Amino acid sequence: MAKLLELIDFHYYYGNIHSVKGINLSVDEGEIVTLIGANGAGKTTTMQSISGLTARRGVVGKILFQGKEIQKYNGYKVATLGIAQSLEGRHVFSQLTVEENLMMGAYLRKDSKHIKDDLKNVYDRFPRLLERRTQMAGTLSGGEQQMLAMGRALMSRPKLLLLDEPSLGLAPLITQEIFVAVRDINKEGTTILFVEQNSKIALNTASRGYVMQTGEIVMSDTSENLLSNEEVKKAYLGG
Amino acid sequence: MQTFLTLLISGLVIGGIYGLIALGYSLIYRASGLMSFAQGDMVTLGAYLGIFYYVWLGLPILVALVLTFITAFLFGMALERGVIRTLLKKNVIPIYIVLATIAVSYIIQNLAQAVFGSTTQWFPQVFPVANLTLFGVTNQTEAYASFVISIILMIALHLFMTKTKFGTAMRGSAMDPLAAESCGINTSLSTGITWGLAASIASLAGMMLGPMYGVFTTLGSTIGRKGFAGAVVGGYGNMYGAMIGGLLLGLAETFVAGYIDGTYKNQIAYIILIVFLFVKPTGIFNEKAIQDV
Ligand SMILES: Nc1ncnc2c1ncn2[C@@H]1O[C@H](COP(=O)(O)OP(=O)(O)OP(=O)(O)O)[C@@H](O)[C@H]1O
Ligand SMILES: [Mg+2]
Repeated sequence: MAKLLELIDFHYYYGNIHSVKGINLSVDEGEIVTLIGANGAGKTTTMQSISGLTARRGVVGKILFQGKEIQKYNGYKVATLGIAQSLEGRHVFSQLTVEENLMMGAYLRKDSKHIKDDLKNVYDRFPRLLERRTQMAGTLSGGEQQMLAMGRALMSRPKLLLLDEPSLGLAPLITQEIFVAVRDINKEGTTILFVEQNSKIALNTASRGYVMQTGEIVMSDTSENLLSNEEVKKAYLGG
Repeated sequence: MQTFLTLLISGLVIGGIYGLIALGYSLIYRASGLMSFAQGDMVTLGAYLGIFYYVWLGLPILVALVLTFITAFLFGMALERGVIRTLLKKNVIPIYIVLATIAVSYIIQNLAQAVFGSTTQWFPQVFPVANLTLFGVTNQTEAYASFVISIILMIALHLFMTKTKFGTAMRGSAMDPLAAESCGINTSLSTGITWGLAASIASLAGMMLGPMYGVFTTLGSTIGRKGFAGAVVGGYGNMYGAMIGGLLLGLAETFVAGYIDGTYKNQIAYIILIVFLFVKPTGIFNEKAIQDV
């Protein structure tokens, strides 16, 4: 399988603060991979750095997408390559309608006919968004906003979909619903790298996982192996 | 009744101008979270650009209008690129950026004086008919044209910001730059364009003021401040609030001057401003004005 994304000895510095300390990570085409770890481990920094959303001067090391170095790219430029992210904390455009939010996801596309199809697909996947298509995004519930954030990312037809904590602050039932969608999206052919606080759901969804701790990757294995690993069980799966 | 109509029309004419200037303040606040003291000077800039293109170069009025718009647009973008962004990159506290705009404001005023001199210049009559009588009220033809152009600009801006993909993206960038960037929107370009638009709208206001008020170096700082008051009264940062707030102040000062006493004409906008800050800081359109605690 061809490597779609690869981080080689990637570091991130917020000024003097060394937040990510030389990690190696890769995602193959078609894969679904998770990045788990405690608060402050550097997961969001890593995800946003891939998308070009962190200040570029803090990046050291390489980020390759389809074999091409992209670590110097700004956010909007990374988006043109086919990388979309559903951001931690959702970041919907609160004073735009649900549909305007989704259309912003398709901002770079010119194929208006296929955009219509994709809009319909998002509404089929998340019928609640269809019911609320003319509502301001800021008035949606947390779960609905998460669906919108994911839908917006999907509207770009990404080659790589990044999801940062899709279950943040959501009730268990909605979390289940979100992860059913995550699995489906991957089955339909989109490569996914996601960060998730709930390690059990994460490893049950992904085929492989990386475990991050204070800026370093301390373990990397198949989900199956990680789920049965004693250390992982103790630290991340509640015993 | 005749007095009422006369005042109503004058109020709407000057209110339209205030509304345009207020729009610029609000656009900038939305995009950058800042207040630019140089915004009023974009009015002055526009008035002189009008003289430059229309009188000095002798171009047709519509061409002069478009060129003024474009020149001011480039100037506004350059101001954002050259001054504002440089300071932002240094992580300067916002108030210092606002202070820098005061410096820019004085530079523009003094440059204008150096180039055009300190005497008031008069923008020549544009239309073949000097005065027009509507509803029994006679006014300078340019005054009526100014109101029509103000309203057209406001509607055009509304349509651009809400109905076009690019306008929606600009609003999105202002709301959530991180999300906008992740959607492929070049947020720094979007901010630059916003400053450009703010300058060009104000410049047209200045060009329209020329025939009515004359052109002098402090034209913008006097009238610009009233536009600022209009923006606050409408709800600072709200496009529609800016338009309504500007119109309202124009009407208020004209009616007070007409019915009560002309000496208070130039205070009324600021009295309303301070009353709003005390009683309803969120303005007519309820913008966020109170800090979260
Ligand atoms: N803008 C910033 N400036 C300085 N330090 C930062 C900044 N953003 C994050 N950090 C620091 O970098 C480290 C990694 O943060 P990051 O948000 O990437 O962690 P995370 O793994 O996503 O955590 P969480 O699970 O809480 O979301 C933390 O120590 C954090 O304090
Ligand atoms: Mg995080």
